Amino acid sequence: MAAKLTEYYNLAAKEFGLSGRIKLAMLTKIPSEKAGTAQDSPDNIRIFEQALKQLRTQGG
Amino acid sequence: MKISTKLILFFCGVVTLFVLLASALLAQTRTVSAGYAALLGQQVRQAETARVIQVSFKKQVQEWKDILLRGHTPADLERYTRQFHDEETTVRSGAVELAGTVVDAKCRELLEQFVAAHKTLSEQYQAAYDVYVGNHFDFKAADKIVRGKDRPPTDLFDKVVRQLNDDVAASVAAQERVVARSRNLALIVSGSLLAGLGLVGLVTVRNILQRLGRLKAVSDRLAAADIEGLAVDISGPDEIGQFGDSMKGVHAAIEELTQLASAAAA
Repeated sequence: MAAKLTEYYNLAAKEFGLSGRIKLAMLTKIPSEKAGTAQDSPDNIRIFEQALKQLRTQGG
Repeated sequence: MKISTKLILFFCGVVTLFVLLASALLAQTRTVSAGYAALLGQQVRQAETARVIQVSFKKQVQEWKDILLRGHTPADLERYTRQFHDEETTVRSGAVELAGTVVDAKCRELLEQFVAAHKTLSEQYQAAYDVYVGNHFDFKAADKIVRGKDRPPTDLFDKVVRQLNDDVAASVAAQERVVARSRNLALIVSGSLLAGLGLVGLVTVRNILQRLGRLKAVSDRLAAADIEGLAVDISGPDEIGQFGDSMKGVHAAIEELTQLASAAAA
């Protein structure tokens, strides 16, 4: 289970709403459904970190 | 590697190949030209000089016969004697000069033999001339001294001319062999390079077209909203790979949107 990746989706939704989730999926190329089953690997975490950072920079 | 880089490299490869081929062709033309120039400037000219000396020697013998036939007249004697010695000098100096320039050892030896025989013949002609003039133009007595004596030098010089002609023919044949070898080498090298370059180009274009086809299939499914089980497996460092990567983002966003819509509807 990728609890960490799912957490990123929750953060995106909290900070930027539904569009934040969609943009996060677009940037990471991993939709939330797949993020729930994907590994919390260092690579995946790095991708999500960068995507969230980009969202914050763009203001959602 | 990016497609643009591949295309630029391919273009540079084609241009380089043609420049190299043109340079090689130019160098080959120069070599062939230099070979024929050397042939014309030396061996052909020597063969031509030999033919001139051969004719001069025949004219010298003819002048001797004119002396015997018409030398009873003082004016004719003076004229044909002068012409005889002119031809004699031409033959001797020409043969000596030719012997000093020919490369073929056999030919040089024949020329040296001819020069020696010609000197002996000159002495015999002089003795016969003295008899002719001293015995009231007795051409029979004079002719008896030199009769048939011009045959050995004539035969020797015929051999010289034949030998020089054979040398020219051999050199031309050798030159033709060199040209044929260079031509075959150029054909093999240029053919191989062109085939190699063509193969690389074909493989590159085929690879690009295959990946573009896969990209189009993904795009068609996205356009038709057919995302169920859709996998965007197009990657790579080139433009198609980058486009495929963008497609993955779009696909993920559509999936997320679909999921959110489903959750909202439930």
